Amino acid sequence: MPSLRELQAQVMDALLGAMSPAVTALIAGPPARAERRFGVYANTVQGNFRDALHSTFPAVRRLVGEDYFRQTAREFQRHHPSRSGDLLHCGEKFPNYLAQLHPDDEFTYLADVARLEWLIQESLLAAEHPPLDLGALGRVEPAAYDRLRFELHPALRLFESQYPALAIWECNVGGDAEPPTIDLRSGADRLAIVRHRLQLQFLRLNPGEHCFLREIARGECFSAAVDCGGEADADFDAAAALQRFVAAESVVAFTSMVKT
Amino acid sequence: MSDHLENSVGENSVGGNSIRGPMPANAGIGLRAPHHLHVLSESPDVAWFEAHSENYFTDGGSHVECLSRIRAHYPLSLHGVGLSLGSTDPLNREHLANLRRVIARFEPTLVSEHLSWSSAGGRFANDLLPLPYTEEALRHVGSRIAQVQDALGRQILLENVSSYLQFSAATMTEWEFVAGVAAESGCGILLDLNNVYVAAHNHQFASLEYLEGIPRHVVQEFHLAGFSRIDLDGQELLVDTHGTPVCDAVWDLYRAALQRFGNVPTLIEWDTDLPNFDVLEAEARKADSLRSALRALAA
Repeated sequence: MPSLRELQAQVMDALLGAMSPAVTALIAGPPARAERRFGVYANTVQGNFRDALHSTFPAVRRLVGEDYFRQTAREFQRHHPSRSGDLLHCGEKFPNYLAQLHPDDEFTYLADVARLEWLIQESLLAAEHPPLDLGALGRVEPAAYDRLRFELHPALRLFESQYPALAIWECNVGGDAEPPTIDLRSGADRLAIVRHRLQLQFLRLNPGEHCFLREIARGECFSAAVDCGGEADADFDAAAALQRFVAAESVVAFTSMVKT
Repeated sequence: MSDHLENSVGENSVGGNSIRGPMPANAGIGLRAPHHLHVLSESPDVAWFEAHSENYFTDGGSHVECLSRIRAHYPLSLHGVGLSLGSTDPLNREHLANLRRVIARFEPTLVSEHLSWSSAGGRFANDLLPLPYTEEALRHVGSRIAQVQDALGRQILLENVSSYLQFSAATMTEWEFVAGVAAESGCGILLDLNNVYVAAHNHQFASLEYLEGIPRHVVQEFHLAGFSRIDLDGQELLVDTHGTPVCDAVWDLYRAALQRFGNVPTLIEWDTDLPNFDVLEAEARKADSLRSALRALAA
């Protein structure tokens, strides 16, 4: 008799891959019945995983159709099985998996739509945070601004794509109407995904703003974020950007960096 | 019979002030996200709710927000599906930390998990897989439950799962295993009567024998739900889909369980093809009326 550990390893192999005679032998009753009954579990394991992927990636599912989605979810689960007791996380590697499946064909844009959907899920489930304390910021000496380290709202996510991924997403979620045709060359996306209370919003960013927020997200000080914004866009206006993102409750806190 | 009905939870009735006390005797309802807004806007007369712990592990979002508001008005039980207590993998510390966090946040009256496993070598099936009912498995899961109870600083309840297969290595019945786990770890038992019925049909044993094999004092919650029937090449298999009303045979088993275990908090569960909330309320009222009728008989 195998140990409990061996039994569980063999059963898991069979659930995620294919049934083996060794696993059939672990199950009480005639082999044919054992295999049919094991199949009930295998179907549930695959169905639960697929349903979880569907709820995270509804636009991808709609774009590729049920059959392709089912097959891709199955293959993805074989290569990247769930690593958590909570299926919410099972799709983390799905965007990269799609990118590898479609490096250079008519579905290359799919990975970016999937990445957008993953970031939307992260944003929807992130913590709340109150807006920035303007009074406290007002008490900072202008000369000390450079050494401030601003913090972004926990639900803010930055997204970039060479495709109009947001427009593709918007017309493939909600509603059963046939989505319009979107020209994949109709514009790139550079976005901040934000959430106010429970409402998602998408802020379109210019290149300077995008670099500015990215540096803040990395924990860089204000002067470094401003420099980066300026490098990406000669017309970058740091004061206007800060005002925009504070007003939008995207920049929500700051700390003074201690001089080293 | 009368002793058990009289000496248990008793007359602890529903009421806005009892949300921190012991679980009310009246039946609760499994809280599912599509019903969040209905519960918030209509404040239905439900004795208590049970929510799946993992659905509230996130830092924020609508689920967490809704449950916080619902918790302010109703007693709550948290019911986990992902801790994989029966697995031989190391106990998932992150999952346990998340569980501690939701317990601190929502202050549930009861905390429960499943007597099953769902991971091996770090890979998760995210399903409630049955254990082989052996001494080795009993010792293993017993010590894991004790570990979790130590980490949480409280007793947890373990639910018997429905099953479609048995392992040939088994050296004891399921009810011997369940009773053994409670004795080994000091956990309570959440007796899912639908799961007993489903397993009894699928593995050809008598549900009542199962109930008689569980010590009276360990059962602290009942679950009631519906199952589906599927045909596997001419053999009927019952599958625990939670997508139909509680069937008559399970109501009968509930009566027998009330007589054996007393007035234990009872929960109505429904997951697939979730109906309007009033369907669940009607099921809860039916459980309440059965319990009242038995109590009247005993008086």
